[in-house]
Amino acid sequence: MASPVNQVGSNRVLDRNGPITDGWERLADDETVKPGAAVLVSFQRLKNEHNALFAEAAAVGVEVGGDVNLDELEPFLPRLGLIVVRFAFMRDGRPFSVGRLLRERFHYTRDLRAVGDFIPDQILFLLRCGFNSFEAGPDFSVDALKHGVAAYTVWYQRGVERNVTIAERRLGKENLGQESA
Amino acid sequence: MYIYDDFDHTIAKQRVAEFRDQVNRRIKGELTEEQFRPLRLMNGLYLQLHAYMLRIAVPYGTLSAAQMRKLAHIARVYDRGYGHFTTRQNIQYNWIKLEQVPDLMAELATVQLHGNQTSGNCVRNVTADHFSGVIDGEIEDPRIVSEAIRQWSTFHPEFSWLPRKFKIAVTGAEKDRAAVQWHDIGLHIVRDDAGEVGYAVYVGGGMGRIPVLATKVRGFLPKRELLSYLEAILRVYNRYGRRDNIHKARIKILVRDLGPEEFIRQVEEEWEASRHSGVNLPPEEEIRIARYFEPPAYEKIAVPVAAFEDAKKANRAFAQWISTNVHPHKTPGYAIVTISLKPIGGIPGDASAEQMEAVASLAERFSLAEIRVSHIQNLVLPHVRQADLFAVWQELGKIGFANANAGLVTDIIACPGLDYCSLANARSIPVAQRISERFADLDRQHKIGALQIKISGCINACGHHHAGHIGILGVDKAGQEFYQLTLGGAGDETASTGQLIGPGFSSDGIVDAVEKVIDAYLDLRQPNETFISAYRRVGPAPFKEKLYGVSR
Ligand code: SF4
Repeated sequence: MASPVNQVGSNRVLDRNGPITDGWERLADDETVKPGAAVLVSFQRLKNEHNALFAEAAAVGVEVGGDVNLDELEPFLPRLGLIVVRFAFMRDGRPFSVGRLLRERFHYTRDLRAVGDFIPDQILFLLRCGFNSFEAGPDFSVDALKHGVAAYTVWYQRGVERNVTIAERRLGKENLGQESA
Repeated sequence: MYIYDDFDHTIAKQRVAEFRDQVNRRIKGELTEEQFRPLRLMNGLYLQLHAYMLRIAVPYGTLSAAQMRKLAHIARVYDRGYGHFTTRQNIQYNWIKLEQVPDLMAELATVQLHGNQTSGNCVRNVTADHFSGVIDGEIEDPRIVSEAIRQWSTFHPEFSWLPRKFKIAVTGAEKDRAAVQWHDIGLHIVRDDAGEVGYAVYVGGGMGRIPVLATKVRGFLPKRELLSYLEAILRVYNRYGRRDNIHKARIKILVRDLGPEEFIRQVEEEWEASRHSGVNLPPEEEIRIARYFEPPAYEKIAVPVAAFEDAKKANRAFAQWISTNVHPHKTPGYAIVTISLKPIGGIPGDASAEQMEAVASLAERFSLAEIRVSHIQNLVLPHVRQADLFAVWQELGKIGFANANAGLVTDIIACPGLDYCSLANARSIPVAQRISERFADLDRQHKIGALQIKISGCINACGHHHAGHIGILGVDKAGQEFYQLTLGGAGDETASTGQLIGPGFSSDGIVDAVEKVIDAYLDLRQPNETFISAYRRVGPAPFKEKLYGVSR
């Protein structure tokens, strides 16, 4: 049975502030779409059945790995409401690049979510690479998450959120980041 | 020297607070060791055979006297009274207690020191020529761009979880003292035909079990565009570098698997798409950083300096030390002093708290309070007046650091090896000590001349044996420590990989083998020919014959 993502197993969905309610249902490749549902499918299924999916579901999301071919994903981007990027293991660094590319190069603006074995200490980096929600296991500490996202207040680099970099602050260009967003 | 502003200090303090929290969570069991491991590594903390080891960065090899005093203090309070300078311009402490690390880090942060990214699969402490800013013929002080790279790579949102460690080195003069071709990215500061300053960019060098010299991916990259180009390289690597096999995860393997042309094509394509995304440093920021590296106010000194010339004539031991350990400074009347951390029979790179403090005092009195750390595991006083050299030499003698052997056969690089390292196959330090004792006679060392011996305790090659004129690699042979010998490696602008000369040697036999190689060289060399030049002229055959008795 398909069920909302935030109840799959004991996983839950969070944003930078903690758990959120979330209506997406993750479908196995052989599960049928309940009309009007927001469904999360594999990239393979999206490629095979995109016409039917976009026709039947209220919203379509896709789950990809860090090895996703973004050129293949590009044609679907305008109609996707959610992209989930899976960490194959905790130290899988590819999702960081995928997130940044989706936001900066492909101008994807809707929900971008990480799933897998990442830890709260990585969330700030993920946020800075364009992710805005996270699907995590029951051991994932909300306290640590809140601590982690507040760990740093200034950065040397520009992130996807178009923060003002330290170099720009040094020049007194406090608004440059936002203006060029 | 670069001085932190409020922003740099904020980042440093927030890092300490973050790590304090992580250590607490680990101690309380909220983080598993598997989860904690990459976090502690990115703060330079390793779990070794007997205790935690902490690696602290000396960014691009420049230290102030105050920083050196702090390192001495750390050695005394948190360790067993000494520290170990490494081949990557870091210092390591071998007897650290986990629960004390946050306080230790907080102390370091007060003097702009840290263990950030000295380990882990991230961009490591950027290294640079240890003679930066004081050597003649430099196009630009490489520490300027190194500081820019330090800032850019610190907690980079996208490139903190790479397939494997990533090392960047920069050199600014024609002579390469930073071994740039042995790094994941090597930058050689050059001028184009129009006189504009930029970089020759090398990618994919590295040691380990597959030694590879870097590929030159660009002959000239304009200075202003460096950071966006680095991001393009790192993005290609982060996305496509192998993560399934730790031994194939370095960027050198990606370059090899794609082929240099295809790798370059992908980097250039990525760069074209991203070079205008606001990653490059604003020109004002580069100017701001450069100001910290402007030459200090040197005195105007008439040369020759009579007192110095007289002392050389009067004291043979002093003259010997000058010939190996003192380099010409770009400013008349000044000199660059190499402090050899290679006393006969000592542990390469080790310094006690007292020795560090004495060096700090010497720097304050004689070197504008500045010290350098070289990748040859030595220290450098970069701004010494020639008139002060004799006093400096005498003071160094009092702490056992007046060894007149910089660049000679006993100036050995050795990794920690089996005495400390859990990955080791064999001991490195005792081999270095025994070679050093065998060649203790200083006249003999000077007669042999320039020669680099480099020793690694396993194939990971932390002792850079591939780049040693004579390289020694510890291997395990049926439970016995065994040593392979390679000849002809080099780490400079003529970089080359040492070649295995033949069957290995026992722990007892390796020192004799080194001596035979050197005897063979002395027999065949032409006037003024260094070991490496002679080896390149004659090849391995005469050395094989001397070692194994048969010519093939
Ligand atoms: S070369 Fe091997 S033994 Fe030596 S420090 Fe590196 S990993 Fe340890």
